[in-house]
Amino acid sequence: MRQALLVWTAALTLLIATDEAIAHAMLDHAEPRVGNTVASPPHEVTLYFTQKLEPAFSTITVTNAAGQRIDSGKTRVSGSQMSISLKPGGSGTYHVNWRVLSVDTHTTDGNFTFQVGQ
Amino acid sequence: MSWPEAGLGDGLIAVRAVHFAASAIAAGALIFRSVVAEPAAVVAPEALPVLAAQVRLVAWTSFVAAVVTGLGWLLLATMQITGASLWEALMQDGLSTVVEVTQFGQVAVIRLGLAVLLAIGLAGERVWRLRWLTLASALAFAGAIAWTGHAGSTAGDLGMLHLVSDVLHLWAAAAWTGGLVLLAGLLTSSTRHQSPAWRKLELDAIARFSILGMVAVATLVLSGVINAWIIVGTWQVLLGTAYGELLLAKIAVVALMIAFACVNRFWLTPQLAAKADASRRLARNSGIEFALGLAVFAIVGALGLQHPMIHP
Repeated sequence: MRQALLVWTAALTLLIATDEAIAHAMLDHAEPRVGNTVASPPHEVTLYFTQKLEPAFSTITVTNAAGQRIDSGKTRVSGSQMSISLKPGGSGTYHVNWRVLSVDTHTTDGNFTFQVGQ
Repeated sequence: MSWPEAGLGDGLIAVRAVHFAASAIAAGALIFRSVVAEPAAVVAPEALPVLAAQVRLVAWTSFVAAVVTGLGWLLLATMQITGASLWEALMQDGLSTVVEVTQFGQVAVIRLGLAVLLAIGLAGERVWRLRWLTLASALAFAGAIAWTGHAGSTAGDLGMLHLVSDVLHLWAAAAWTGGLVLLAGLLTSSTRHQSPAWRKLELDAIARFSILGMVAVATLVLSGVINAWIIVGTWQVLLGTAYGELLLAKIAVVALMIAFACVNRFWLTPQLAAKADASRRLARNSGIEFALGLAVFAIVGALGLQHPMIHP
């Protein structure tokens, strides 16, 4: 019994000693940055996630201030990174919607905005 | 969550739980044969056919359960990923798409190939060389589960550490739970036969299983801490999410299993030579420990479907 207590004490001590949190197929950061302002319309949007993604089931859509789709429709996925090219969309608030399937078969989705030229 | 989604989720938990348990028990039975039963049976060759029959029964039963639930898991996961009905998943391109383009589907195909190798090995186990193929394919079949879960999707440098840790976790769980089934069978047979040779075999087998069990528990705890550090990371997530609650429940049941293992090792085992009913009590405790192991697999069936960062 003493050995078991020692093992569990060591295990819990190791757990206490950790302070890093890793999200699960969640957006880590994006380029352009979430909520930021960029001077000119970007040529593409890139999203970085905390887990590896399945290309066939992961998508991004981007709309401009007028609500028009300005993405190319072809999402590129590499590991935990996902990008899409953009057509010129003018200035204003851009809306990015994403939906991803991580390779452990969990689906997550979300959205964010960034500003262009304001 | 709608009723169909809730039903799909419950179905996924059930097939995953049975699949993990069955895959682990199949591998654990073959580990037990190689490192406990056969070396211990040197002192009682007449026991070998009895032990071999027990290994075959446990390995085949768990193998069939693992294959059936593995196919069920693939189908239900396809329905979840594609949003297709069972009919659409089977008759349209849902299943083929998941198999062709997702890591989960590709791992499922590789594991199906390993299952075929395992079946060939089990069927031809009387040929010496196939016995090692059987053990290797069973270990690979169980260990490859790591690529279907959280460990398989961890990005960056931690990804390889997570995979190695998860594979070791699965093998240790297999050695412990699968071994317990056969240890209980061996002890029951020994009680039934009541011969000096069986008695010697029993003592040697328990000594060997004690070492196997201690290595397995140490590996489980160490790899479990690494996995928890990578997936959970903080006390807030451990204590404040559905994932954390399930993980704590799993740790509590494993702690109970370790307590039973300690009673078996440090209290009942020393009594084996002196007290006649110690071996029967040891078999009973091994059965209870195994039942707790099945509860752990049930929790793991649900755990892998949870998002660690989403609060309940």
